[in-house]
Amino acid sequence: MHLDLCDDLVRRALAMGAADAEVFYRKARKLEAMFEKNDLQVPKGDTYEGVGIRVLLGGSGGVRLGFAATNLLTSKSLENALSAAVAIAHASPEDPNYSLAEPAPAEPVPGIYDQSAEKLTLRDALDQGRLMLEAARDVDPRVTLDSAMYTIEVSEKAIANSRGVRLSEKRSLFVCQAMAFARDGETVSSFDMEVGASSQMSGMDPAALGRKLGEKVVATLGATTIPSFRGTVIIAPYAGAELIVSPITFSSDAENVQTGRSKWKGMLGTQVLSPLLSIVDDPSIPGGAGSTAFDREGVPAHRLDLIEDGVLNHYLYNCYTARKDGVVSNGRAAGTDQNTPSIGPTNFAIAPGERSLDEMTAACSKGIIVNRFSGNLDEVSGDFSGVVKGGYYIEAGKIVCPVREAMIAGNIYDLLRQVTGVSRESVEIADMRLPYVQFNGCSVTGKQ
Amino acid sequence: MLDLLKEAISQTAEYAEIRYHKREQTSIEAKNGRLARVERRTLAGAGVRCLVDGCWGFVSTTDVTHDGLRKAISEAAEAARIGAELRREKVVLAPAKLAQGEFVYYDLAGEPSIAEKIQVVMAAEKRVRERSSLIVASSVRYLQYEDEKYIVTSDGAAAHILDNKPSFHVTATAGRGNQLEMAIKSWGVTGSWKDLLGKVRLDKAADDAADLAVRKLDAGYVRGGQYTVILDPMLVGVLAHEAIGHTVEADFVQAGSVAQGKIGQKVASDLVTMVDDGTIAGAAGMVLADDEGVLGQRTVIIDSGILRDYLHSRESAQTFGAEPRGNARAFTYSDEPLIRMTNTCVLPGKDDLDQMIAGIDDGLLLREMGVGGGQADSTAEFMFGVAEGYVIKHGKLGELVKSITISGQAFEVLQSVDAVSSDFICGLGAGHCGKWQPAKVDAGGPYLRCRVTVGGRHE
Repeated sequence: MHLDLCDDLVRRALAMGAADAEVFYRKARKLEAMFEKNDLQVPKGDTYEGVGIRVLLGGSGGVRLGFAATNLLTSKSLENALSAAVAIAHASPEDPNYSLAEPAPAEPVPGIYDQSAEKLTLRDALDQGRLMLEAARDVDPRVTLDSAMYTIEVSEKAIANSRGVRLSEKRSLFVCQAMAFARDGETVSSFDMEVGASSQMSGMDPAALGRKLGEKVVATLGATTIPSFRGTVIIAPYAGAELIVSPITFSSDAENVQTGRSKWKGMLGTQVLSPLLSIVDDPSIPGGAGSTAFDREGVPAHRLDLIEDGVLNHYLYNCYTARKDGVVSNGRAAGTDQNTPSIGPTNFAIAPGERSLDEMTAACSKGIIVNRFSGNLDEVSGDFSGVVKGGYYIEAGKIVCPVREAMIAGNIYDLLRQVTGVSRESVEIADMRLPYVQFNGCSVTGKQ
Repeated sequence: MLDLLKEAISQTAEYAEIRYHKREQTSIEAKNGRLARVERRTLAGAGVRCLVDGCWGFVSTTDVTHDGLRKAISEAAEAARIGAELRREKVVLAPAKLAQGEFVYYDLAGEPSIAEKIQVVMAAEKRVRERSSLIVASSVRYLQYEDEKYIVTSDGAAAHILDNKPSFHVTATAGRGNQLEMAIKSWGVTGSWKDLLGKVRLDKAADDAADLAVRKLDAGYVRGGQYTVILDPMLVGVLAHEAIGHTVEADFVQAGSVAQGKIGQKVASDLVTMVDDGTIAGAAGMVLADDEGVLGQRTVIIDSGILRDYLHSRESAQTFGAEPRGNARAFTYSDEPLIRMTNTCVLPGKDDLDQMIAGIDDGLLLREMGVGGGQADSTAEFMFGVAEGYVIKHGKLGELVKSITISGQAFEVLQSVDAVSSDFICGLGAGHCGKWQPAKVDAGGPYLRCRVTVGGRHE
């Protein structure tokens, strides 16, 4: 039925003079329980339906692209969106690299749609959220769940284009996330967070998540300042999501490569990271939070061994950047109906290493574990600098104390070539799976 | 539309608020000689909030017919009812100056066509690229939110609000060998295309971004440690917004922020007065009426060093016995109003910038926010990136240094202020403040001299 709407709009765009057209449809029903300050803030319900229309106009030196989106599916609003897309295409310069996806079979991913989610109500979201809240508070009365939410979403996407692509997919997604801190008199711990996501309700454990978060923030009460030093830094998974994942996805994004912002231009098949690091991006993981059979343009998405033993194997492509490089898109077009396709990973994982976190700590003469990083990272140069949140100071192989007001700085691309350890343990954070990563030679600025 | 909303709301016995919000969003982005993205989006619908037995329920829908709105109201009331079983602190709303009538600040009569805007964006991007042979990447992004809202509450707000918030974001990346450096210039207004270009000339922003990126190639790093610094108006804005502003948002205060229980206490140097002011004409965070239907107003947060007030929604104002002044904001129709800042500024003092520099023996002059912006948490511990740092030695301004991040405890930093210039610029940039949902905000002030921790490198 939704594909019929897409087909109809594609036909109308062609009738308005478009050489090619694509319509991406998305519908979502979302139920959410929001908590603040250890109390329910608001139960929320939302029903969304919208389309994004891309039209291509032919020309001698290439094609012109126009895009418009609307979530008002009235005939007048759809007509306006079609007209706006065509008008933008007329006003845009020609570009030889715009194209739409050609039809190809897309293998459905098992386990991404939990049919029972259809019947769930706001009360279910409230009950699940309450489990998280109570578990965090049961750890210690000093814990404050600053903000948290439990979300149930059932969504459907459909895409049709004038080249013959016709695909649709239904999925469910459960997300539980919380930020908390602990307060003991005048002493306030760092903010810390936990995120859990699953396609299946049975894959969620809000109580365990709340407990873990409560334990983390209580453990950082009584943090002390440390002296400045240059030494070992162990990046925990949540800090790695910012410090490691974002520069790697940035630099492997074909658009950043082509526009000169990536340091990895011309480096396919060469060593870009330490041989200890291997990275897989896999949209076909059954039940994965980032799993999908096809991307924003209708290109089937498959597993990519993005980086193997530090060697860069692939860039992430959508149709535009692929055509520019004379290759076929590997199905990494990202985005929704509200945007033109961008580029992004699906389920991103850093392969675990051989040493345990305890072994890594024990081997460290002077260092710091960074649980969360709050700072700036310039993905172009790789320079970063920021505050360590929920960090621990290590001396002579032992964790000495939680730290406050310590900053770390360095160049992430240089550091990622000098990794000295990757942990056996890894943590799933929504659509990422990350181990602890250790490097030496990072500047730590303390306040002593 | 107003009549439709009034009629729908008249059918509920509970407190209800209906907000119809239609946003026409235009984005144009040119990158490296290519028109990378042009998008026109319509996002419209109604957000309905009901208060039953001291608990909120919120439902958003794209169905804004009479029947659609009635259904949304009954679902929101039901959500509130089941929520009330769980909610411990019961919500009561404070009285407020409610908005009634038409609220229009800008004039879009002379707005250029999208084709003309595309030409201007592409020309500016070309200018960045051609400024120096060392420029390896460049982008210019234009973003416009054209908003129309109707807000009706069951206790008397009935407002039609037209608002337009455009912004520019210019980036330049310079490269030499394997070294890449990036610079950003960005700004936004509440107003028209003409107002936006009147605030900062686009060609100057293009030149400045390119020049800074090139200069950073030869800049060194600064050694980390404690420094006496001068913050420029943009960084003062970031400090006011990120480091102080968030800790005085009443919901953060209730959650135990460091500003809790500090009303009436000395929290900053006598030289510091700080306000949040939704009425600053043309500033990007201007709010004529907020999303609870309360009129935009000014709140004095710190008065000559003394903490005077927090920022409130109607709910938190009741808890604190304060007056709500237009700080409950929602980004789109499907977001519920949260306590947000508008334009957050330190007010100017009497000092002269040159004299302030002359008074520093060993320190830094810091200008503009760097790549990545800034953050803070409930302890008022903050960090933000700085775009340009200049060494000050023996009262003299010296060379450019890069990759600087500053941090500290915001109230300690404000206690350390010993000079405030007579300048005043409200220009945080083109960005959004994030707190579950984005919001367009602005911030600024004069030049401030204070002590901060600078994160740098140890060789």
